[in-house]
Amino acid sequence: MFEPVLTQNVGNPDALTLKGYKKAGGYEALAKAVKMEPDAIIEEVKKSGLRGRGGAGFSAGLKWSFIPKDKKPKYLVCNADESEPGTFKDRLLMEYDPHQLIEGCAICCWAVQANTCYIYIRGEYTKSAEILERALKEAYEGGILGKSMMGSGFELNMYVHRGAGAYICGEETGMLESLEGKRGQPRVKPPFPAVVGAFGAPTVINNVETLCNVPHIITRGADWFKGIGTDERNTGPKLYAISGHVERPGTYEHPIGITFREMLEKAGGMYKGGNLKAFIPGGASAPILLADQIDIKMDFDTVAKAGSMLGSAAVIVMDDTTCMVRSVARLAKFFNHESCGQCTPCREGTNWMELILKRIEHGEGTEADGEKLLSICQHIAGNSLCALGDAAVGPVKSLVERFLPEIEQHIRERQCPFPHRRYFG
Amino acid sequence: MPKVTINDRTVEVEKGATLVDAALKVGIQIPHYCYHPRLSVVGQCRMCLVDIWDRGRKMPKLQAACSMKVENDNWVVRTDTPEVQEAQKGMMEFFLINHPLDCPICDQAGECGLQDYSFKHGVAFSRFRFEDKRTYPGRERIPLGSNVILNMNRCIQCTRCVRFTQEISQTAELGFFNRGARAEIGTFPGKPLENHLSTCVVDICPVGALTSTRFRFAERVFYLDKKPSICTGCEVGCNVTMEHRRGKIKRYKPRFNPEVNDYWMCDYGRSTFERYEKLPRLAAVRVRPEATGNGGFYGGWKEALDLVHRRLREVDTSSVAILGSAFLTTEEAYLLNKLANALGTPHRSVPVDLGPTWTIPNLKGGIAGKEQAPNRRGAELVGLTPGEVRQGGALLDATALLKGDAAAQADVVIVSDSDFSEAAHNPQVVERLRRAKLLIVFGWCDSPLAKAADIALPVSTHAEKDGTFVNVEWRLQHFGSAFPAPGQTRPLVDVLVDLLARYDASWSKLTTGQVFDRLAGEHPAFAGLSWDDIPAVGVTLNVPQARAAVDAATASAVQEI
Amino acid sequence: MSVSEPVVQKDQVNAPPLPADVKAQITELRTRYPKSEAVLLPALHLAQLAWGGWLPDEAIAAVAAELDLPVSKVYGVVTFYDLYHQNPVGRHRIRVCTNLSCQLRGSEEIMEVLHQELGVGEEEVTPDGRCSYVHFECLGSCDTAPMMMVDETYHENLTPQRVRQVLQGLK
Repeated sequence: MFEPVLTQNVGNPDALTLKGYKKAGGYEALAKAVKMEPDAIIEEVKKSGLRGRGGAGFSAGLKWSFIPKDKKPKYLVCNADESEPGTFKDRLLMEYDPHQLIEGCAICCWAVQANTCYIYIRGEYTKSAEILERALKEAYEGGILGKSMMGSGFELNMYVHRGAGAYICGEETGMLESLEGKRGQPRVKPPFPAVVGAFGAPTVINNVETLCNVPHIITRGADWFKGIGTDERNTGPKLYAISGHVERPGTYEHPIGITFREMLEKAGGMYKGGNLKAFIPGGASAPILLADQIDIKMDFDTVAKAGSMLGSAAVIVMDDTTCMVRSVARLAKFFNHESCGQCTPCREGTNWMELILKRIEHGEGTEADGEKLLSICQHIAGNSLCALGDAAVGPVKSLVERFLPEIEQHIRERQCPFPHRRYFG
Repeated sequence: MPKVTINDRTVEVEKGATLVDAALKVGIQIPHYCYHPRLSVVGQCRMCLVDIWDRGRKMPKLQAACSMKVENDNWVVRTDTPEVQEAQKGMMEFFLINHPLDCPICDQAGECGLQDYSFKHGVAFSRFRFEDKRTYPGRERIPLGSNVILNMNRCIQCTRCVRFTQEISQTAELGFFNRGARAEIGTFPGKPLENHLSTCVVDICPVGALTSTRFRFAERVFYLDKKPSICTGCEVGCNVTMEHRRGKIKRYKPRFNPEVNDYWMCDYGRSTFERYEKLPRLAAVRVRPEATGNGGFYGGWKEALDLVHRRLREVDTSSVAILGSAFLTTEEAYLLNKLANALGTPHRSVPVDLGPTWTIPNLKGGIAGKEQAPNRRGAELVGLTPGEVRQGGALLDATALLKGDAAAQADVVIVSDSDFSEAAHNPQVVERLRRAKLLIVFGWCDSPLAKAADIALPVSTHAEKDGTFVNVEWRLQHFGSAFPAPGQTRPLVDVLVDLLARYDASWSKLTTGQVFDRLAGEHPAFAGLSWDDIPAVGVTLNVPQARAAVDAATASAVQEI
Repeated sequence: MSVSEPVVQKDQVNAPPLPADVKAQITELRTRYPKSEAVLLPALHLAQLAWGGWLPDEAIAAVAAELDLPVSKVYGVVTFYDLYHQNPVGRHRIRVCTNLSCQLRGSEEIMEVLHQELGVGEEEVTPDGRCSYVHFECLGSCDTAPMMMVDETYHENLTPQRVRQVLQGLK
């Protein structure tokens, strides 16, 4: 029976306070960590196989090891921007267990010897920001943060920095630009943030969920962590945010690699008993999977092999009343709206894709449209300055490749064959 | 120094050089819009994508050549693979889908980045046929300042102009507003684009989004002939290209000279040629009947110069004052000095005109010009005395002549106002100079001074002669004539050589180049130089002030690194 | 001097001083960052509150003057982000998520209800200045779809009736 790890304090309102959190076992990991060598912590996290939970799935320990030892200052920026459509897991962690995040950040700062941590939280999450500010205040008062972190003599300052409404600020260099008070336009890489990051200094950027795993790895060990999951490249517990046409949408913690079928069952099955048509495994940027892939293991590698990506594990479920063209057109509109406008393929390409998909949805599609969309996708993917271009391509490409008959039906019938569903009478 | 191989050509470059520059060194042009050697690298137009093999392994994605800096010998680059060509086609298509078909009415046609790369790297048909182009209603002809007009529909969002105002002119008037496909360039209300380098953004804009108010609809660029020259606006001596058609200059554009003005020039300098059309031209030799001493004057240049020669012989030559100007070329000033020697008069001077300081940024910390004329130093080196600089100069020096009553004491005043001087239009100055018994004026403009002169002799404008200038940093730069002088007008060098030949036949029929070679032989500052060998970027003269200036510039450049 | 001297337009940016409490908060926030430019986003949030929920030009100029930044840069930041408004908004600002998960659970109908109840279109302010609403991108509450954000509060699991209830409570 899988015991919750990350969500163990959800449902215990006491854990929002420092006292309650400690009573539930909190800050033991940090106390243990400050007695360890920073490099030992990095090794332990590397060994655990923890991969970034924000979408890229990059080895967290490896990322931490890129930080040069001899430079000062250094920063940790916690990516709490969570703007990927379908994702809401970080919000749960911040609103119900803020100290878990603070502890994870503190351990990371100790490991890379960063004296300042910024929690970059999206501007819309006012409630989470307030809860975090309160928890930080308690942490300072309780000696966890400040001039001497847990009495170790290591100065650690942690601040909440609110964003102002831009998905692109979830991209790591876009986030750094936004933190520095500029437009959130991603930078050219190299140099990478580990070399030149926030304010020109080496910086680690990690997702909220990734950092929340760290205290547990320290207390229970890398081997315990590796014991959860599919194989040594896909380890640990994972939060899955499931929404759309399911009975009980919400955030569920499972060992990484649970099958989609199981996940769907645990979320109450299809909404009002509908029939599964398609599902998105990892947020708006993930290519759409078909109903017959229902037994897929939801881990990084299996989903990648199936032609999609686990990303932020934001699962969106669609039943057979859904028009795929309308759904992907909405995602294309999202990417067009969120494109920062710097680079040509993304700025023009996402705009064009939205226009074409809108045209098809309104019955004005032409035969060449499917091929045109694929060609646009080919010109954007790999050529854009940051990953938003590639993300925008994901759903559109999968639409044309896997749902071409639906597109053709729109074009042939000169209208959308799926009536707008009424949910409220 | 690291080496990199591009399309099978290997080149050695400075460590940290970008691939775009490295490719240029071996004659390969990697297309680009947002990259500029003097602006920060943003890598955002994605036009410069190339294939790179790092130690034999191909990088999985195409890389933007402008942001790839060569640090070692590991790279082999190709700009001609099918992937690169497909990417270039894709990028060109993306640039054009929302771009208006304005070529017939757009100033940039003929020197447009979209036209050029479309032709070279793009496709000849559009697939954007059923959607509406994104436009910026109301932003099709917005004056951003007094010199620049924006057409936002044409903009390709390369942000060169924004980075220019932030990094080069450091005035930050332009900003990048909004996001995504609605992103636009603009100014904040109340802070227009007003700085002395503002028209440079028109030069660096690859398309016709930013156009110059002065040049708007003035001429099609493919009809313009281009002549390299030097600006006459101030003592900086920015290198320019005179763009002209049928004897009329239509535009000045800055010419790259890393030692002087780099890629830039100021707005005032760009306006200096307009006077040639606006002001009346002195078209023919004009002599007042009183000046001949024996009735009317019927003749051309020979007769006029004979008359000048005769009148000069009749007076006590110590009362002859020669007033030059800092617009004279070094050769013209040299010949005036020789004339003064031939006459035996000590009075030979140039006025010094001070104005607002124009600073042009370059890699050596910038170059600033306060004098409003290009060649006071050249004139000074070859013997003319500066009027403002030295106190207690010759009695009939420039200050005394222009501001005081000195002309009344002169028998003859020869004014050689080569290009333009405010003094020639100032009625008080004209009235003072008129008090001379005989007033001879060499000029191109039929100014009030020329009208008041006894003998007015028409000479070339700056565009119609060869010559050299010495700039504020004692750098000698040369230039050539763009078109011949019209009508009876002759280059001043030819006129003076003719006049001097009446005193010493060895001057007869010398060309400007020959005059320069003579002066180089006589003045140690120019030692070792010859007209045919003056380098294209100019050469610093061997003058103690010049050496100090060069040392100071090197010191500040070293500090910047 | 020249026959064609350009007329130089003077810098005429109207930058009133910031309200004292905003200035004090910004000064305190500055200590958190090594560069004062980094306090721009928090400063704009504070200024926006002080100016009634949106940022007129004078507010932008005031923040730029306080942080010693060029106005064009600050304006670039304001126009980049969705939470900074350059046009007047209602006393209550409603943002309805219409992204995919919410679209799959009836967000379009919620937008219809708002249009009906408020009588104005998107981005318009009701005549009494009470409300304005816009569609928005994913607000991170997909499990409680459809939902909307009113000022700083999330209203989740909406039905047309719930929407009307919420609207009634807005003054």
